[in-house]
Amino acid sequence: MSAHAVHAPTGHRVAWPLVLRVAWKNVRLRYKSSLLGFAWTLLNPVLYLAIFLFIFSRAFGQVDNYPVFALTGLILWTFFATTSAHVLGALVENAHVLRSLAVPPLVFPLAQLFAGLINLLFSLIPFALLLAAFGWRPQPVHLLALPALALFAVFVFGLSLALCTLNVYFRDIGLLWNALLPALFYITPIAYPPDLVPADLRWVAGLDPLYWYIDLFRTIVYHGQLPDAGRMALVTVLSAAALAMGMVVYGSLRRGLVANY
Amino acid sequence: MRTEPMIEVRGLQADYHVQRHGYRSIKEYLVSFGGKRLLERRRVIDGVDLDIAAGECFGIVGRNGSGKSTLLRVLAGIVEPAAGSVVVRGRVAPMLALGVGLEPELDGIENARLCAALMGGDRHAMRRTVEHVRAFAGLAEEDLHMPVKRYSTGMMARLGFAIATTDDPEVLLIDEVLAVGDAAFQLKCYDRIAELKQKGGTVVFVSHALGEVQRLCDRAGCMEGGRLLKVGGTHEVGVFYHGLLGIPVGE
Repeated sequence: MSAHAVHAPTGHRVAWPLVLRVAWKNVRLRYKSSLLGFAWTLLNPVLYLAIFLFIFSRAFGQVDNYPVFALTGLILWTFFATTSAHVLGALVENAHVLRSLAVPPLVFPLAQLFAGLINLLFSLIPFALLLAAFGWRPQPVHLLALPALALFAVFVFGLSLALCTLNVYFRDIGLLWNALLPALFYITPIAYPPDLVPADLRWVAGLDPLYWYIDLFRTIVYHGQLPDAGRMALVTVLSAAALAMGMVVYGSLRRGLVANY
Repeated sequence: MRTEPMIEVRGLQADYHVQRHGYRSIKEYLVSFGGKRLLERRRVIDGVDLDIAAGECFGIVGRNGSGKSTLLRVLAGIVEPAAGSVVVRGRVAPMLALGVGLEPELDGIENARLCAALMGGDRHAMRRTVEHVRAFAGLAEEDLHMPVKRYSTGMMARLGFAIATTDDPEVLLIDEVLAVGDAAFQLKCYDRIAELKQKGGTVVFVSHALGEVQRLCDRAGCMEGGRLLKVGGTHEVGVFYHGLLGIPVGE
């Protein structure tokens, strides 16, 4: 029989099998009562793409193969918008569990991140088929998209974990995020090419971290080029900084969580 | 024979960190770059000493907000002590609220597996939990394959109690959740609690129903304002509690 001092009980050790189990449950529940189920992961960006094609393809005629350009942006955007929103709500939505079982709270935001990743990985296959329909052909360099996506996932998690923790104390955060997401969508060059931004405003566009991830992803998947080292370094630093910020906010407010869910 | 107590609480203090209300506090916090406190400490447990032996059932009574549930949360490892020490010598199964960890869209069996995982169980523990639910909860196989959102409160209590008592937990923490089951299931729970005690398990039982406490518990304590004001026999503590509430003794 093990004696344990209940000193740092809600511990920092996160059990990974548990995270994956909860993540898988989240994936299943997300589409459980919908007719089209998993297809929504794909339908959502495709609907966006249809709108883009209808409205923008003439306007941005100078973009070579606009559907592939738009889709490469939309894949990242869809992951960002859905995963950040799900991670943001993870602590508040599991309040009843966290108040009654000694589960490390971090399990729930992590599980939402992994649910988002599982969704993304599944959707890459139909996305690849769709891209192929628009004339895109896979090349070895495209495999670099996977580490790029991993870096993006770290960034999304760090940012959302900070928001998720603050949201426990101030529910305004979740509401604010809902309002900010559409604004971010238009600020980030997803539907339009980045060189459309007037030269004197480009530095503003560069302040948007999403720009750098989408740019990296497009360099690899749309242009089929190797990303240069400087860009890689910048994106890696952004991801590390976001993760550090998330962990610091979570770590400093963790003790107060249980009274405020 | 074990000599050291199963649960040992010394000088325990526990706080809740509550946000200071109002726009001003957020502004102060942001302007000071986190230097000013955003959260205010509120002491919920203020100096509790308690030993509970193996094989003992200990009842806790007290007014709403006196710290009973928080004490259970500290024992369960959900709330960290601010000061003092807590030692629990055994595997803890908390039953602190009804339907905890149950996912409304999943069925009884899937929920049993999920809860077992949330309580820290591995693949084998998950299988044993499902077996125990089948054997103990008294739910029809058809009900076990129905989403728990369609369960009645009593059915949720059955599922929850069956999940929590899998693998003969050494420390069972119960926070007023048995009252919702029907009489037959309550009796079954009392039998199961007696069985766990016989095997050397410890039960901590929070309830407002003095009758239940006197029936189940060997000893009891009365909490008030975050302190254990009285510890002793269940009758003695019951009389004390009624005195505190201003209810004439003998009722």
